[in-house]
Amino acid sequence: MIQKRLSIALAGNPNSGKTTIFNNITGTRQKVGNWPGVTVEKKEGNINKSGYDLKIIDLPGTYSLTPFSIEEIVARNFILDERPDVVIDIIDASNLERSLYLATQLREIDCKVLFALNMADVARTRGIKIDDKKLSELLAVPVVFTIGNKNKGINTLLKQAIELAESDYVIPEKRKVKYSKDIEDSISKIEHFIGNHAADSIPYNIRWTAIKLLEDDKIVKERVLEKTGKIGEDILREIHNQRNFLVDRFDDDPEIIMTDERYGFIAGIIMEVLTTSTKQRVDISRNVDLVLTNRFIGFPIFIFFIWAMFQLTFSLGAYPMDWISSGINLFSTLLAHVLPDNIFKDFLINGVIAGVGSVMIFLPNILILFFCIALFEDTGYMSRAAFLMDKIMHLIGLHGKSFIPMLMGFGCNVPAIMASRTLESEKDRTLTILITPFMSCSARLPVYIILAGAFFGAKAGTVIFGIYLLGIILSIITGRLFRSTLLRGDDAPFVMELPPYRIPMIKSLLIHMWDRSKLFLKKMGGYILAGSVVVWTLTAFPHNISYSKNYDLEIEQVKTYFQTEIEAAQESDKALLAQKLDVAVAELLTEKKAEKAEKSFMGRIGKVVAPIFSPIGIDWRGSVALLTGFVAKEIVVSTMGILYAADERENSEALKNALLSSGMTPIAALAMMVFVLLYMPCIATLAAIRRETASLKWMIFSISYSTLLAWGMAFLVYQGGTMIGV
Amino acid sequence: MKRVHSQEKEQFKTLFKQENIDAFEDRFKILDVFLQTERHLTISELIQLLDESGYTFTPDFVRDTLKLMCRFGFASKNRFYNGEVRYEHRHLGQHHDHMICTKCKHIYEFEDEQIENMQVQIAATYNFHMLQHKMEIYGICSKCLKDHIQLMPLIHAKQGERLEIKEFTGGASARMRLLSMGLRVGDKIDIITNLNKGQMVVAVGYNRYVLGRGLAQKILVETVRS
Repeated sequence: MIQKRLSIALAGNPNSGKTTIFNNITGTRQKVGNWPGVTVEKKEGNINKSGYDLKIIDLPGTYSLTPFSIEEIVARNFILDERPDVVIDIIDASNLERSLYLATQLREIDCKVLFALNMADVARTRGIKIDDKKLSELLAVPVVFTIGNKNKGINTLLKQAIELAESDYVIPEKRKVKYSKDIEDSISKIEHFIGNHAADSIPYNIRWTAIKLLEDDKIVKERVLEKTGKIGEDILREIHNQRNFLVDRFDDDPEIIMTDERYGFIAGIIMEVLTTSTKQRVDISRNVDLVLTNRFIGFPIFIFFIWAMFQLTFSLGAYPMDWISSGINLFSTLLAHVLPDNIFKDFLINGVIAGVGSVMIFLPNILILFFCIALFEDTGYMSRAAFLMDKIMHLIGLHGKSFIPMLMGFGCNVPAIMASRTLESEKDRTLTILITPFMSCSARLPVYIILAGAFFGAKAGTVIFGIYLLGIILSIITGRLFRSTLLRGDDAPFVMELPPYRIPMIKSLLIHMWDRSKLFLKKMGGYILAGSVVVWTLTAFPHNISYSKNYDLEIEQVKTYFQTEIEAAQESDKALLAQKLDVAVAELLTEKKAEKAEKSFMGRIGKVVAPIFSPIGIDWRGSVALLTGFVAKEIVVSTMGILYAADERENSEALKNALLSSGMTPIAALAMMVFVLLYMPCIATLAAIRRETASLKWMIFSISYSTLLAWGMAFLVYQGGTMIGV
Repeated sequence: MKRVHSQEKEQFKTLFKQENIDAFEDRFKILDVFLQTERHLTISELIQLLDESGYTFTPDFVRDTLKLMCRFGFASKNRFYNGEVRYEHRHLGQHHDHMICTKCKHIYEFEDEQIENMQVQIAATYNFHMLQHKMEIYGICSKCLKDHIQLMPLIHAKQGERLEIKEFTGGASARMRLLSMGLRVGDKIDIITNLNKGQMVVAVGYNRYVLGRGLAQKILVETVRS
């Protein structure tokens, strides 16, 4: 039997518990993607319920259906164009009046609506009682009480939704908002006008279209013009007249008057259905905010949280990192023993496993970091952080909200750039996207650890901290520069709600963490695998190299020489000689490998680009490592491993020694770290920039700006440092 | 006043009859309603007044009649500061000037003999033959001024203060935004944080909002006296 498909959309205010209900319904069967054409996250989930195949769509949280932001446009367009079978409006019962504003707007569109009075428990503790029967009657809408975080009422909700979808229910006209006479007159005049001239070409409910046109809704206006062609102009002229008439009459914009009247309508409903007992409860959230947004102690507390997050990420993450690292080593040793010596084995161990392994190692860090970020978000602290950072962000000419993506940038730039989509202003978004790559992501950390560890010893921690700080300072300078030149922005009116503090649900924390990590793994995994294969190929070929000396012969000679020595020597010296033999052979092998690397394609490329990097103190091997870092910044380490002819496996001690003996100076190492911090974002980040700005231009700009800045800064560090003789 | 109006009606009758103007009876009804009000009316307002008195005319007819009345000196057309055309009836031989409040849009009439005389004198000194004159003073009326003093932009509020939102200034879209997020005129708000720099945090009931300084500048509030 083929199951019947129904689509159910979840709408509601931000923080109304929409996502919790969505997570409860769909669990892990979620699909996260983008809405077509825009970069707003689209979440879908499929479930089976009483013989129906339900497709649940989580619409972006919105306050109204007036298109202020992309989220609101997306939500509205979905309901209008995709026509879901049922729209469930999740209403925050403790915030009924405002929630009903969206509800009345949903009511005006021709769609089947079902109300979920969510957070009924919170409402009750606040002494709010809602008469659901009366509400249902007044608006002619089925109403279900739910408690999202306790998973109560969800079953009934779905059952009711299915019932509603299957019924041939028509919205009674009189249950909609009725405006004052003048406005109703204008609406019906426009309705008639449209009805007479273009009834067939208007894709939506005519009354709704008339209302939106009267409200000067840009998108509906465009749509009408597009659909009706020539007559559209006449319609708009009629609208213009009606608007002028109403402005003349009310001395204010019609949309404001209509909003007021909608609230009037809502006030009537509230009076009927809502009873508040007089007991005034202490608002815990408000008291917490008095502390956490306090002008003196708010900021230090915030810094502490951030510090704790990084501490947790790196110190707690170090343990599983070790396990994974040894696991990978074990695996590749095992493979080395099992597989016969051939090029395929080399490819598998040195190409694929080394490359992908280097990313897998960071999985624990990424998971912990994203868990912390999900914790910040789900408790409601994130928006407070945005508020606290506002003063500092204003140095760059951005609102505090831009801080959220930047903070995430310390984990990985890819989800960070995606997080910038919460910003409303296009210019703010672009600017945030351009400066986020200067937040040193966790992929760059291994490079610092190796270089600082090798050259700065005990001071390594301080040096790495300095590098992070440099990234932040340069992002501020860059922000200011762009703000006053390329992205001169008007200060858009800013209002953001601070959601009440909530105890996070472990389930939703894990879902959020996993969503982001999955994205990271998928993107990075793909690019890194491809990148590793390219790096390996370039270093492994050409296969037949004419060496400057015959290593095999020399090794043989050394062996025979020591063999005879050992035979001639006394019993006590034999062990020592055997050791000497091993060292001599290893030296020759290393030399051979170094020459092989130098003569490989990679080496040749390195020699070509070396002149560019020599002014900043980086030799050809470093140059190649940096080039390969374009694929993913971690690869810098593994490429250095290959080129500096360190041990086969990524043994960081060996690489450090190899670096120390390669003639690199501490100041050159510092210059290289600065370069790694700043130069062009990795390929996954670039793809994200391209997608989120919807422009190739900004991506190319980002590449050129950051690389030039990196070179310039590294040049200053290296030349300056050399001059003062550090 | 009544006496003046009946005098005008008589003149209207004679003049319009002489000119052979059509639909005399209907136009006379319009004049009648028009003369009964002392307000400055827009055409649509006049149509509504006529409606209330039980007469229904097309806007074109009303506009046409008003034009005629202007031509014969029964009404005069004024275009006040927001560009709307408003009509007032003229008491023949009488004249008054206007003060227009730019805030509440109320129009105050006044008469001052001195000004009238001075205008005649000034015109005479320049050897200017005065046919008509118009005098309009724009400003804030005493009522609005009194109200306004107590209002302050939210941005100047101190931490811990309790205030009531009285008015939004600024563009429609910013106002709509605040409305749809649940900030409305008449709401009581508490100031949670205001650092006199950067954004501020306010609470309305159980909701808290972060407001940018630009927006806070556009919200006018009044102290709630407890």
